[in-house]
Amino acid sequence: MTNLSRLLNALGLVAIDTVLVLAFTDQLWFRDLPCPICILQRAGFIAAGFGVALNLMFGPRPSHYGLAILGAVAGGVISTRQILEHIVPGSGSYGNAIFGLHLYTWALLLFALIVLGSAIMLLFERQFAATDVLPSRLKVLPVLAVSLLAALALGNVVSTLAICGAGLCPDNPAGYMIFNDNLSLTLLGETP
Amino acid sequence: MMSLPFLLFACGLAAAWTSRRRAAMGFWIAGVLVLLALFRFHATDVLTLGL
Repeated sequence: MTNLSRLLNALGLVAIDTVLVLAFTDQLWFRDLPCPICILQRAGFIAAGFGVALNLMFGPRPSHYGLAILGAVAGGVISTRQILEHIVPGSGSYGNAIFGLHLYTWALLLFALIVLGSAIMLLFERQFAATDVLPSRLKVLPVLAVSLLAALALGNVVSTLAICGAGLCPDNPAGYMIFNDNLSLTLLGETP
Repeated sequence: MMSLPFLLFACGLAAAWTSRRRAAMGFWIAGVLVLLALFRFHATDVLTLGL
């Protein structure tokens, strides 16, 4: 793996981690609860980041870039669906807008960037053969980026359980279901 | 149910961390399939678009 390829993969994963951290910030700081489709877009980012993480842990392979592209396409399909729900003027929107665009629109742009970035990385074939000795500074950042992705995946398990219980999420969540009085029922996915 | 894809991806990352690449990819495939199934369950409204 060339050092440049490793560095770019690490920076790409840091960017994906940052998106997920910002989503959590919007949820916890600004109390903007994610809708079910928004939660699935978060999962799409983790699916895309998973491929990049495999590049960092096992070395770059075309199949790892394939996972990143497929994860981004799955996420992109989901965000496209949400954009289409609100694309007609007067059909409303969901959540806060940031720099004039809603989170699902930003999500589609970022999924497209992941596909584009992965496709460009696939053009550089030397990374698949090279076995350079890695300088220590190129070991710390990838470990941090992969660890953060794993922590964010686990954080989303807890967050999603808190919002939706064990069943499917309500279309417009009004609060954390886990704080309801009928916790045992919601965790079983039953209607109280 | 909705947290299942995240759990599968976390398990996949744990498998990768312990050098089990095939298991990691298996968890990824399972996670994406569950993700798409959940999307199918939630995308039920007919879009008011004239395509």
